[in-house]
Amino acid sequence: MSRDLQRRMRPLLGTFVEVGVQFADDAACAIEAAFHEIEAIHSLMSFQDPASELSRLNRSSGEWINLSHATLRVLRLATALGKKTNERFNCTVGGALIEKGLLPTHGGNFIAWGSSSDIQLATSHARLHRPVRVVLDGIAKGFAIDMAVRVLRRHGVRSGWINAGGDARAFGETQLALHRRDECGNTRFVGYLRNAAIATSNTFANSAHDTFGQIVSTNAKELRPEVISVVSSSAWRADALTKVAASLRRDDRERVLLSLGGRWVDAVSEKRAA
Amino acid sequence: MRPIPALVLIAPAASIAMPCFAAEYLSIPQAQTALFKEADKFVEATITLTDAQRDAIKKLSGQRQREKTQKVWRAMRGTELLGWFIVDEVVGKHEFITYATGISVDGHVRGIEVLVYRETYGYQIADAQWRDKFHNKTLNDAFKLDEDIPNITGATLSCRNVTNGVKRLLALHKLVLAIG
Repeated sequence: MSRDLQRRMRPLLGTFVEVGVQFADDAACAIEAAFHEIEAIHSLMSFQDPASELSRLNRSSGEWINLSHATLRVLRLATALGKKTNERFNCTVGGALIEKGLLPTHGGNFIAWGSSSDIQLATSHARLHRPVRVVLDGIAKGFAIDMAVRVLRRHGVRSGWINAGGDARAFGETQLALHRRDECGNTRFVGYLRNAAIATSNTFANSAHDTFGQIVSTNAKELRPEVISVVSSSAWRADALTKVAASLRRDDRERVLLSLGGRWVDAVSEKRAA
Repeated sequence: MRPIPALVLIAPAASIAMPCFAAEYLSIPQAQTALFKEADKFVEATITLTDAQRDAIKKLSGQRQREKTQKVWRAMRGTELLGWFIVDEVVGKHEFITYATGISVDGHVRGIEVLVYRETYGYQIADAQWRDKFHNKTLNDAFKLDEDIPNITGATLSCRNVTNGVKRLLALHKLVLAIG
């Protein structure tokens, strides 16, 4: 069977992003367009970049800020999930992450975290009711993957995948052999990803700088150190649900995540150790 | 809501340990074309740096120029110099990452492409509980190793080493290539 596969990898989003296509007519053009889309979304929603739309919103003092459709869409997804999960998914924890030294401060006063109610959304504007720092890392990356997949499809790509720093989505006939890495760098094969997305985050208190998707707890209880992976039909949802999973007791995870459209990937060895 | 997918639990095509995996994305000629579409010729112009030049690069970029030689090509369109195509290697977590960058005549980065990305990882289906999770039928099939598209999820690498490498190459361009 000819795989007719073409792939490229570039440094983006602070990590390595791989775009692969199978059975495509103009693969190079499609791949270029996909990278362009990921870059565009990143530049809108990067917390690190003081010039991003997100940073403009975070700097605002309660006034309405004009935002692009893409940013508003992600804010809508984030706040809806926040309300649905009683803020277990909380995109206003930027302040807490700044205090932990995990995110840069761009000046101004802020509170450690708020809730989805602190963000008000209109058709083409948004405003903050309190000085929270909205952070979209971990949902925006997934969203960028989903949008890039859409771009690939619009370019006539029937099968392919995108892996952005460990968050991956495969579509069409493509099957990715997934290896999940733990905090020590050891990897374990966990299965094939097909027509689905997977996101993996960790809750280690002292992550080295080259790990991603760190989750912080907004209540006093410290999170138990673990690697959490979620499979869903879209990458934004898989991403966001890793944060929800981290806040749940292990016994509740499967049920709650299924109700939210995600499937928790539970490693057998973790079950043995628990 | 759409049906919720699950991982497909069949055993991987290779059940041997694969300590180092290298994904090759582009050859040098492919990367040259990718970064300089309008070029019709690439002229090899490998440079050898003096200690003084290497010190100056370190001072300007904050990054150490480890190697004395750097693989550089002049990207040409007829007699017009479009810029420089440079191949470089940086260390990822444990392995080298080979990448290329195109720098325009006025010192801007036209793009960065990974040529070879190397990872250290292996299949670990040593314990019985894991094996039981997978349907065994594919273990008996004559699958070629490269039928799998291995991918990693979780704790992946920052690209800081590559972006620092590009910073270093921009300094090299300013101090050596642009005035040469």
